[in-house]
Amino acid sequence: MKTLLKTVLIALRNLNRQKRRTFLLGGAIAFGITIVTLINGFAGSFVENVSENFSNILAGHIFVQGVEKTADGKEQWRIADDDILLEIVAEQEMPVTFVSKRSEFTGALIFQGESIRQTVVGVDWDEERYLRERLVLLDGEFENMLATNDRGERNGIILTETIAEALNVELGERIIARMRTIAGQQNVGEFVLAGVSYDPGLFGQLSAYADLSYVNELLTLQPKQYQTLGIFLTDLGLIDQEADQYFEELSRRVNVFERNTEEEGENPVEALFEQADEETWSGVRYRLFTLNDVLSEVDEIVRLLNGAALVILLVLFVIIMVGITNTFRMIMYERVKEIGTMRALGMQRERVQILFLLEAFLLAMGGVLFGLVVAGIIMLIMSQIFLGLDSAIFILLKNGYFTFAVRPLQVAMNAGIVAGLTILAAFIPSRKAALMPPVDALRA
Amino acid sequence: MSIVRLEGVHKVYPLGETHVRAVNGVTFSIERGDFISIAGPSGSGKSTILNMIGCIDTPTEGTVYIDDQPTSGLTDREITRLRHQFIGFIFQSFNLVPVLNVFENVEFPLLLGTEVAPKEERKRYVDFLIEEVDLTRWRTHRPNELSGGQRQRVAIARALVTRPQIVLADEPTANLDSKTGEGIIELMKKINRELETTFIFSTHDPSIMGIADHIIRLLDGNIIENRRTAPAGDGA
Repeated sequence: MKTLLKTVLIALRNLNRQKRRTFLLGGAIAFGITIVTLINGFAGSFVENVSENFSNILAGHIFVQGVEKTADGKEQWRIADDDILLEIVAEQEMPVTFVSKRSEFTGALIFQGESIRQTVVGVDWDEERYLRERLVLLDGEFENMLATNDRGERNGIILTETIAEALNVELGERIIARMRTIAGQQNVGEFVLAGVSYDPGLFGQLSAYADLSYVNELLTLQPKQYQTLGIFLTDLGLIDQEADQYFEELSRRVNVFERNTEEEGENPVEALFEQADEETWSGVRYRLFTLNDVLSEVDEIVRLLNGAALVILLVLFVIIMVGITNTFRMIMYERVKEIGTMRALGMQRERVQILFLLEAFLLAMGGVLFGLVVAGIIMLIMSQIFLGLDSAIFILLKNGYFTFAVRPLQVAMNAGIVAGLTILAAFIPSRKAALMPPVDALRA
Repeated sequence: MSIVRLEGVHKVYPLGETHVRAVNGVTFSIERGDFISIAGPSGSGKSTILNMIGCIDTPTEGTVYIDDQPTSGLTDREITRLRHQFIGFIFQSFNLVPVLNVFENVEFPLLLGTEVAPKEERKRYVDFLIEEVDLTRWRTHRPNELSGGQRQRVAIARALVTRPQIVLADEPTANLDSKTGEGIIELMKKINRELETTFIFSTHDPSIMGIADHIIRLLDGNIIENRRTAPAGDGA
């Protein structure tokens, strides 16, 4: 122990002896660790942020949809009576923030000869206050959505900037919508542009909002009917557990489509939807899916990000390793006389090697610590910058801010890889130093 | 009783395609407590003989006995242990560990053994040796803060710290001025008297040679004189 402490002391002082070299090598290690920690930290919060933002867009964490088979064998997508669905929420004492009811159609929006395909989501604006806070309107006001036309219909629509520009439509102008009813018949409606929202890019398709009552009317749903019940929980971490309990109770009371029927690599929601076509059934059946099912590919993205971080770490450190090997070879030649002296005084070969390897290890750990501190500072600074709710990368942010979640195990693994590679890089020069006959070393 | 014995020792170094005979079949023995000078001009084989006695080099032919034990055939681990327990080194260019201070340099060999003495015991003995070489004031100084003479005194203390039976000094005064060199030799002689440690040093300085009680003179790898001027440990 005493010997090891003295060896550590010598190794530390040797590192301090060549400050510039230590700083450069340690700096290179720190740089690698900083980059990798930032990627890991970003990937760590990626799932949570994407899930949270998606839950805002989709208005829920757990979703229930009703599908009805008509006498002529056609499927109609609607929840005609939600008493049981809401009863279960209450009975299970689910930790719910709110429950959303939505209907939607995908059809053509037409304005002065221009036509564009768009999904229009029917929202109960009186209930979904969060969406009103969340949507960034570049033009128009939410109050316009509550206005009725001369037939008493709330036919306002909010389009994204891109769609509005593509249609060349101005606030207050009328847009024709062509879609199919739930029975599959062609229908036409008329919307008034009430607001223009910021285009969140990838999710623009989901971002045309109208009033639930008018969308229901166009779909020929009854006033109290809708298509999707969204249950918004208080905590993302409870999704699977609550969904399982809800599904268990739901399947006891009504006919349901089975969950988790997907094959390897298949999206669970797609598999759930395929059941309606593949199975022979009649009456009303319900399907339940969760945000985690919708975002099952996000885990794959996180795995890819972490994989990329690992590749970056390895590539960076293979380059750094070459530098370390050369440096330690140089150090060996510089200290050859010192090695000879230590050997002459009675230091065993392995102790000489340990001294060199310890130096490499301490250098690596110093670099790792410095890199982590730098990464921490960068994360702290980045997480203080408000990028806005209308940021192009809003889906990756939490309320407009970057967030990072670094797992200690990942940090330990990265530190282990760096330490291992650094020691490996120093191994050959240290072995050479240890095997050098003392007389040759002293004569050098 | 001899503490070191060389029997028919040869040392041949390969030099390109030729071979250089550094030591040419020398045989001699050194008594316990001797203060012996191995003298001769440069290239006469002094350092090679010291290296072989110090077990940091091996003879091409012949045998070196330390305390009547042949050193040939020992493994590197055994030979390193033998050096640590039996032999102290003083080098021409001091060879102190630059990152350690005086105390740490002297203490260093004590930490290399299989059994390390308790801290207090180590400290007492290291401080005693530092006082012996008159460096108490410089105890916490690093080698680069010391003069040549002071560095060599640190090296002497370091060579003695494991209580070796033999101390080898390869031209210990070569890098020092004559006055300091004399001081170093006198210090070695004093320790030789007090601790009865065998000192074997090489030199080509006749004034220093005179202090030795046993002189072996070399020329071209051969012994040309093996003369005892005083009985071993006599302290003349």
